[in-house]
Amino acid sequence: MTLSSTAPKTTSTMNSSIVFDQVTKLYPGQAAPALDSLDIEVKSGELVCLVGPSGGGKTTALQLVNRLVDLSSGDIRIGDRSIMDIPAIELRRTIGYAIQQSGLFPHYTVAENIAIVPTILKWDKSRITRRTAELLELVGLTPVDSWLGRYPSQLSGGQQQRVGIARALAADPPVMLMDEPFGALDPITRMAVQDEFLEIHRAVGKTTLFVTHDIDEAIKMADRIAILKPGGKLAQYDTPAEVLTHPADKFVAEFLGAERGLKRLALTTVAEVLLAKADSELPVESDLPKVEADVTLREALSVVSAAGAHGARVMERGSHLGDVTLHDLVDPPANAVDAKSGEGIGS
Amino acid sequence: MDESEGLMNEIFGAFPFIAANFGMLMEKTSEHLIISLVPLLAAIVIGVPVGIWLGHIHKGEFLAVSITNIGRALPSLALIAILIGFVGIGMLNAMIALFLLAFPPILSYAYQAVNSADRDLTRAARGMGMTPLQVLNKVELPLGLPMIISGIRTAAVLTVSSATIATIAGSGGLGDVILNQVAYGIEGVLAGAVWVAILAILVDQVFALLLRVAAPTGVKQLRATTV
Repeated sequence: MTLSSTAPKTTSTMNSSIVFDQVTKLYPGQAAPALDSLDIEVKSGELVCLVGPSGGGKTTALQLVNRLVDLSSGDIRIGDRSIMDIPAIELRRTIGYAIQQSGLFPHYTVAENIAIVPTILKWDKSRITRRTAELLELVGLTPVDSWLGRYPSQLSGGQQQRVGIARALAADPPVMLMDEPFGALDPITRMAVQDEFLEIHRAVGKTTLFVTHDIDEAIKMADRIAILKPGGKLAQYDTPAEVLTHPADKFVAEFLGAERGLKRLALTTVAEVLLAKADSELPVESDLPKVEADVTLREALSVVSAAGAHGARVMERGSHLGDVTLHDLVDPPANAVDAKSGEGIGS
Repeated sequence: MDESEGLMNEIFGAFPFIAANFGMLMEKTSEHLIISLVPLLAAIVIGVPVGIWLGHIHKGEFLAVSITNIGRALPSLALIAILIGFVGIGMLNAMIALFLLAFPPILSYAYQAVNSADRDLTRAARGMGMTPLQVLNKVELPLGLPMIISGIRTAAVLTVSSATIATIAGSGGLGDVILNQVAYGIEGVLAGAVWVAILAILVDQVFALLLRVAAPTGVKQLRATTV
């Protein structure tokens, strides 16, 4: 990853946290606020998902950050600067913004779309060209030359969304706002783009605020999840594991759904369970189904259940790592889950 | 039998009339084009910028719609009759009437073209830090251009065909031939009507061509791939 070549400052050394300080938004002519005294901090490099039912104010919260919507009261700080101290247009040029349906300009080519913010910032041509190629490579659209001249209408939904992400990253902004970016994609493409984006996020470390209505997406992507309830009140702000294990109230529990327990199992892999437990050998005579080490407990449980077995044999590249029991899968050792829930925070 | 034969003869008589009076028809045609195109141009100069501006600020929908409806309801003949009271007879009268006819579609199409720009796109544009003028120039106008031209096209066909009536205000044009059966005979009336129809179709096709050129590239491809 050579992202720093065109961006002299690496964002990890700068404080690019986003702090919501008693943020309230009341739209004119409406009795109830869209967002009510929101208090959260997104640490530098963290990916935080805003989730909740419609009417929870999650998109409003996002658009307050780049001042597409004006604050009613409270303050938002990026780094240590209030967004109100920076002219709106200048502020927006320092924040990556990706939206549903990609928001690509249909009359611009892929290259022209990616170059929008750098062009506004008056980068010189060769720098823009270099940066565009770098970004297309980053989002996996290679060979670069074959993509530059295409129009959005010539791309699939997933490809458009990748270009949308590249465009948002173009000027190497320290902060990214993503408004249901994968909402319009079919499930298979969506999973692939989610995985790619997580990889990119790990590589470039942008502080990211990510709106989604899909709790599974949030559980998969987020370091921390902020759950908003109707009326714009924060119901819970915690790691996916914590939210799933200890929902703050009835609303959160209901929002997470009846499969909350299974969703929690999707956060841990069988490899982590194997590491956490001391004795992992089951009697050899047992006829156990095989699972790969990197599958989640949820998937492993499905395999075990389908085979009508009482455990599974964990394999990695053909070699036998150990065995997990049905009990291990349903009620994993606490340290296996904890190891997972601590990940991402403060790193 | 005799009657229908007579009608057929008269219809076919239109073509020799066109050939025999070509010079006169061309002269009337140039008059006709002047009385229709000058008000069209004026309506473009005023209607397009006003429509674009109202569309950009997403205001004035009521105004744009009302003007369109009034424009549709106004009979051009009555308009000319009323205007005779104010400006008398002559070219100016006809041109004002035709301007009032051309203005509503031009304004409302220009308004719609910009107002109906995809809100997600304009939000993305603003979110990336474009100024309002950049949003207009780089997103709303290029994408709305075909619709703006459609409005001008509608207005152009309307003025060219309606200019025929302008003759009652004594302004000249092909209406002189069509409305003067005494001098030109039924062949002349039919020839004039055919001539105006051809003129209107020609104007329409010129704008159809312009429309094809004006469609933004990526959007044209979209159409090609979705057909």
